[in-house]
Order: sequence, then structure tokens, then C-alpha cells
Amino acid sequence: MSEKKYDAIIIGGGHNGLVCANILAKKNKKVLVCEARENCGGMVNHEIINYVPSIPNSVSQSIGGLNLKYNSKSTIALSESGKHIRLIGNQHLDHATIAKFSTQDADRYLEFHDKMSQFSKALGKFMLDSPPRIMNNSFSDYAKLFKLGLNVRMLGKKRFNEFARMIGLNIADELEDNFESTLLQGLIAHDSVLGSNLGPRSPGSLINLLYRMAVHGYSLFGGIYEMDGGSETFISALLDKCSKNNVEIKTSAVVKQCLIEDDMAVGVELNNGEKFFAKTVVSNADPRSTYLCLLGAQNLDTDVKRKINHHRSKGRVAKLSLQLNKMPEFNDCDDTDLNSRMVISPSIDYIEENFNPSKFDKLSSEPVLEICLKKDSNNNSSLDIQVQYAPYKVNGGWENIKNDYVNSIVKIISKYSSNIESCIENKTFITPDDIEQNYHVSGGHWHHGEIQIDQLFMLRPIPGAAQYKTHLDGLYLCGAGAHPGGGMHGISGKNAAKVVLGDL
Amino acid sequence: MNNDLRFSALKKTPFHSRTSLASRTNKWYAWNGFTVPTEYSTIELEYTAARNGTSVMDLTPMGKYEITGGDAHHFVDYLVTRDLSEMKDNTVAYIIWCNEDGKVIDDGTIFKYSSNKFMLCCAVKIYNWLNDSAIGFNVEIKDVTDTIAALSLQGPTSCSTLKNYGANDLETLAPFEMKQFTINGYEVLISRTGFTGDLGYEIWTDPENAKSAWDSIFEAGKQLKIRPFGMHALEMTRIEAGFIQTNTDFMAAEDALRPVRMRSPYEIGMGWLVHFKKKNYFIGKKALKLEKENSTTERCLVGLDIDGDKPAHGSVIYNEKKEDIGIVTAAMWSPTMKRNIALASLRRPYGIKIKDNIFAEIYHPEEIEYRKIWAKCKVVKRQFYNPERRNKVPADLYE
Repeated sequence: MSEKKYDAIIIGGGHNGLVCANILAKKNKKVLVCEARENCGGMVNHEIINYVPSIPNSVSQSIGGLNLKYNSKSTIALSESGKHIRLIGNQHLDHATIAKFSTQDADRYLEFHDKMSQFSKALGKFMLDSPPRIMNNSFSDYAKLFKLGLNVRMLGKKRFNEFARMIGLNIADELEDNFESTLLQGLIAHDSVLGSNLGPRSPGSLINLLYRMAVHGYSLFGGIYEMDGGSETFISALLDKCSKNNVEIKTSAVVKQCLIEDDMAVGVELNNGEKFFAKTVVSNADPRSTYLCLLGAQNLDTDVKRKINHHRSKGRVAKLSLQLNKMPEFNDCDDTDLNSRMVISPSIDYIEENFNPSKFDKLSSEPVLEICLKKDSNNNSSLDIQVQYAPYKVNGGWENIKNDYVNSIVKIISKYSSNIESCIENKTFITPDDIEQNYHVSGGHWHHGEIQIDQLFMLRPIPGAAQYKTHLDGLYLCGAGAHPGGGMHGISGKNAAKVVLGDL
Repeated sequence: MNNDLRFSALKKTPFHSRTSLASRTNKWYAWNGFTVPTEYSTIELEYTAARNGTSVMDLTPMGKYEITGGDAHHFVDYLVTRDLSEMKDNTVAYIIWCNEDGKVIDDGTIFKYSSNKFMLCCAVKIYNWLNDSAIGFNVEIKDVTDTIAALSLQGPTSCSTLKNYGANDLETLAPFEMKQFTINGYEVLISRTGFTGDLGYEIWTDPENAKSAWDSIFEAGKQLKIRPFGMHALEMTRIEAGFIQTNTDFMAAEDALRPVRMRSPYEIGMGWLVHFKKKNYFIGKKALKLEKENSTTERCLVGLDIDGDKPAHGSVIYNEKKEDIGIVTAAMWSPTMKRNIALASLRRPYGIKIKDNIFAEIYHPEEIEYRKIWAKCKVVKRQFYNPERRNKVPADLYE
């Protein structure tokens, strides 16, 4: 047996990996983090994300508190006619906000929000903890499952029935039943499908919204923030903690494989041949890479390979960044509006039609956009744009179509901002394929795998691998592919650390 | 035998024109999508040929899969529980393979041509299993069931028959070895393998040589008591030899509807084929290791020597308190050994620690009515029949 220098080696210095490393190190465990890129942080990067939820208290407390400042973000759904919907902070819950364009929708909206908020809370309590494992007959696991059942049942008979009706539902049906404003429908539908592989009419698109609400303070539009200094501040704060807690970090250290002795994970081997040994190995990489590359298909049972092959993890979001030389003007928008989260998603049908070509690995000429104005420390401005339904691989290859596609996006924006083209200094465009290459995430999926009922809770990422353990003893998962899922909250990292500590 | 293609038209094997001519009883059954005879004349005559002459069985329907590529050797070692890492070229090995729960899917034989080329033979179809298992290996898997014609020649005079047919120096071939021959101008692969527990060979050739090979072999064995041999007679010989039959002695893990019917290798007497010390991981290792460490094996498959002469087909086995402890999976009166034998799946510790004072409840059919017999049994080695000539090198020759 080789000498084990570390208690844990964490593969991947994304935020979940760093959260996990800090929790372990605080308990006096010797931890090494291997990060493939030049810097830690992974997809918590302005290149990828626009807005963040607030980091849950349970996570920041578990690493001794993080001093982060947030600015609440309003949302504005742009309309070509100029009749935008503005949802400022938590004012979307004021009847008057929505009554401005439809009193009927305002009534319905409050009811809808209340219902969705309750449902996401019922799931949310479950979300923040390790999921139960059903097959091992442990009492605490059954108790946990019972508690989830109880949470849902405690909603009352009417709500419980409603929950049962909605859990597999598509968001379009629910929105069309409730609202008359197609713009409001389009806005909520946008947030339901953002980052997923579903259209608003795909079954199960509603659960994606519940997940989003659960990690955004149980609110539809209230829990969206921008971090003071950018989301990278979160990573700097985590790295500060790491140096305080004596976490060893190696960057530009690409892990080639997990080392296995006697059917146990005992360390990692880097691409340059260096080997490090530890009592446990914790992977913050996505499940597919973890299983097929790090653990190795040759060390897996057939059924496990079948399951990991079925794991759905193809990303559908691209990111366009427009560096500006002057501020663009948006029709009927003031400065406050420009600083809001601007969404171009005029109706459910608009999204669905946009989604359709992506099913065939083709591009839509009118993508759904979420636009965010950013200023860096040198006061240079840019528009960061999430482009929904950019397929992971495109027919004919991304390289050939990229320019035309970027131009079509700019053309869409110019419908809402007549001078946009004259403001653009430079453009950068990142496809899911690029995310895969640059961030070592197979499929380039934000969440390391779809947030869908068959890939949630004890089924996340695959049956038999829940509770942060993999099929190899001593190898754990701590990333977005594990329960509860992606997004910048660090819950998977925190929960995984607890499991690793229990086994160390 | 697997009958899963019963709704599509059954295929004829390349030997069909010969087997149908030889069939006096017109009794056929569906095996892997082919039609082959259950018996040609009488079971007793066919059985006697296998024990005293040469029996010839059409093996073509057997699932045959060619595994090629740079990782072929690693892959077959990973696929099965047995350590095949030291397997030599031109040899054959008996193997079983399991699913992730350590439950047996099937047994079969693996033929090694070279490190880059193997052939796997088994009774049922497993193409999907092989393909899914091959994820992450540089191998190509091809179903060659239809492109290789196969015959099994078993019995004391089988070596002489094949020598007459043109397989020179065949007697020097050791058990589980194989060799390529050119006979009558075509290529024939001959392996010293079989399912009867006696001296015997299996021959493999291109379907276009099938008829000519059949005719030449029957000509070569004319003076050596050669006879075509069907499934029913095979059942007798394999029980005597103590060989297990998938979906008869145990349910294949991929076919079993009830999880409790699935069996680990230890439960069907195949523990000797599980090698934890081999270098590579193998499918089911984790589960099997747990089973071994925690001694959670529930059943065993044993041979029974039963009082009297009435075969215990499907009998329930009891202890002296008349508690149900298992079931007979295959039974027969053995003409060669003059013993009433059976294979039985028993609930441990019966069959392992408790080998006496167990009883079979036999329902013996006597013209529409059944006679109930309470027969005492003794647990014995499963291999009832094991003649010295089976493994002898050089093999016995007859004029």
C-alpha cells in the first residue's frame, strides 16, 4: 500500500470543491485540491454566469462565514411594443405591479406564486440535506423520505392533490391556464427552462422551475442577485478560507485517472505522471467524466455503464459577451431598466419554436436571451447575454456557423435597441462545446446533468450513486452532478464533506 | 432452452437437409431462432451412441460472438469471473459471467485465437450484454451465430471418427485445446470440448462446408457406431456429467422476473470460477466479494443419489421434519451408472453441512395416475460420471 499523504484529494477547484475542501480542512483533515485550469472557480465565472442566488446560510456557516455583499436584481421582460413588464425586487408580489397590465393576471400571479413557493419549500427542506438511500434499509433514510412525504402531505389535501398534478407537468399548460399576458407567460416560462434541455411544452419543465425557486429563496423573481465585485468574489473568499485552513491547491493540474488499489480509491494520477495518495478522493468533476474517465469504464459493472450512458448532460446555453464603447439605448427603457435583468422571451410559443430546431442540433434564428449589463473595475461596460437553446453540437460544426449566429443575436437585440450595433467594440461567444473544452465539463451543461425527476434526489446523478458516494469505495462526488444540482450555492460540496467526514 | 423467437419464422441450420433426413420422429424444437431435432430415433439409442460410440449434434444455434480488437483480452477477462489473464492462444476455457449484483447470467466457453481475437459461445443471446459491457474498451463484437456451422462429436470413438474424417494427429489435442485443420480442401476448427462429460470434440466451419462435412463425418464413423444426437439425449449426458443448464438449474439473471430466483456462482456450484485475486476488475466483483465476506450465500446446487429407480423430476426436497428445503432441477435414471441421480437446489446449510436424512417426494407417473414415493437421498458430488478417457492424452483410438 502506498503512503497516504492526504486525507482527501479533491478533483476540481470549482466552488463546490472549495466548499468541501474547507469543511474538511476545518476538521483538521489534510486536503489537496487539483484544479485543471489556471485558476480555481470553475464555472463561477463571468464567462458563464450572469446572476446568482444568495449563498445559503448553512453553507457559509459551515465554512466559518463569508462576507459577501449582494445587490438585488430586478427583472424586465422586454416587449417590442415598448410595454415591458418590470418586476423590481420583491415588488412583483405587489398586486399593483402586475395589475398595471392586467388585473386578472395580478390576482392569479399572487396565487400562483404562493402555490409555487410552498411547493418549492416542501422540496427545499429536502434539497438542503443529503438525499436518503432507499436500498440500504437504514432508519434515518426512511425517516428522511417520510419527512419529505410529510412535508408534501402537510400542504393540505387540496394543495397535495395540486402538487401531484403539477410535478410532472409542463410549465406552458400551467401558465396558459393562469395568465392572459403572453409576455408574462414568456417570462416565467423562460425562467423555467433556463439551463435545461426542455421546451416550455416538454413534460417536466415545471420541476425545473421549482428547483430554481428552491435555490433562489423560494421566490420567482425575488431571489436573484448580483454579487458586489462579481461572482468571482465568492471564489476569492473561498480561496482566502483555503489558505487559512491550510488547504493545498495545485492549479493547471489535470487529473488523468483515479488510482485504485484493492477496489478502493487511493489517490490520483495527473496528466504529467505525478501521483498523489490519499484516504479518500472527492470528485467535483461531472458524473460522466468521473465515472468514464477518472474511475474508468474498465472498472465499472455493465449496469453502471448503462446508467451513466443514459445520464442526460448536454448543455443548451451559450454565452455572448458584447464589449461596448458606449451605452446602448433600449426602447422605452431608463437607466434602472438597463441595470435590470433584461429578458427577451415574448411568449411561450416563441420559446418553443426556438427550442424545436435545437432538438435536431440546428440553430434557431430567434434565440431566447437574458441580457445583463456589466461594468468592470476599469469602467468598461459589456452586455453579457445567455443564449438559450444553443445545441451542444451543431450540424456542420460550430466553427462554421458561429459568426452568422452571433449576428442574428445582435439583430434580435436591435429590435429592442436601435443603436446597439454602433456600440459594439468586440464580441466573444462561448458555446456549450467550448464550455466542455475549457471547463472540463462533459456536455457543457450548467448543472452537470439535467434537473429532471429521473435525475433528482436519490436518483442524482444515477441510481446507486446517490448520497455523494460512487460505485468505487473511497471515491465521492461533490459537484453539481450530485444532489441537489447546479447553481451557485455550494450545497453539494457541503453535504459531500459531511459524508466524507463520516467515513474518514 | 431459450425460446424467445417463437413468433418469427424459425431458421434452418446449414445441416438441415441432413438432420431432417436423419429424423425418424419429426420432433423439433426452437433454439435461438433455429429449428433443430429433439430426438432423431429414440433417446436411448442416441444416449448409447454418446457413451459407446460417436454422437453427432447440430450445435449451430449456439450463440457465437466474435470479440476482436486491441482490448479483446482485457475485455474477456473483465467480462467473466474467472482469471483469464494467463489464457494461452488456441485454448478454450469454461466461463460464467455475472451482472452487477453478482448473479449469474449464463455459462459458456471462450475460445482464444490470439490476444486480439476471441469467440464466446453460449446457449442464449447476449449481444446487448456484450455490447453494453464493452463501453470503454477498444473491441468490436460481432454476432457470428449464423456464419459458423458447428457440430458436436462426443463419445469414446469420436477421436477415431474425426481422424478418419481427416483430422491428423487429433489424439494429441489435450482437453480445452483447439486446432485449425484443412480437411477436404476447407478449413475446420476442432476443439476438444463438449457437454457430455466424455471424450469429445466440437467442430466449427463455414456454413457452405456443412453438408459435405456432415456426409464425410458419417462416412468416417460408419464402423464406429456413429449416430445423430438430439437435445433430449444431451440432457441425459449432461446430468450425468454434472453440468449445469441455464434456465433449467438456475434462472439467468437477465431473464428472471423474480429477483429471488437469481443465483450467485456460489449458489450453483460455480464458486471455483470466481477469482478475486485477478488483476483486472470484473463485472459483479464488488457484490460477490460482499457475499463471500458476509457469508450471505443462501442456496447450493448439489448432486443427489436417490433410493429406488424412479426419477425425481421436479421433486420437492424435505428434511426429516418434513420441512421444504429445496427442489430438484434435473433428474434421471442413469443407465451407465445404474443409479437414480438428480441435481437439486437446496437451502443452506442443507447440501453443505447437512448431507443426510433428506428426502425427495417423487410423483411417478403410471398411466394417467401418479404414485407418490417418499425416497431417501444422499448428497453426493455433482459430477456423477467422469471416465478416465475423458482427459486422456493421447486420446483412445479405435479401429
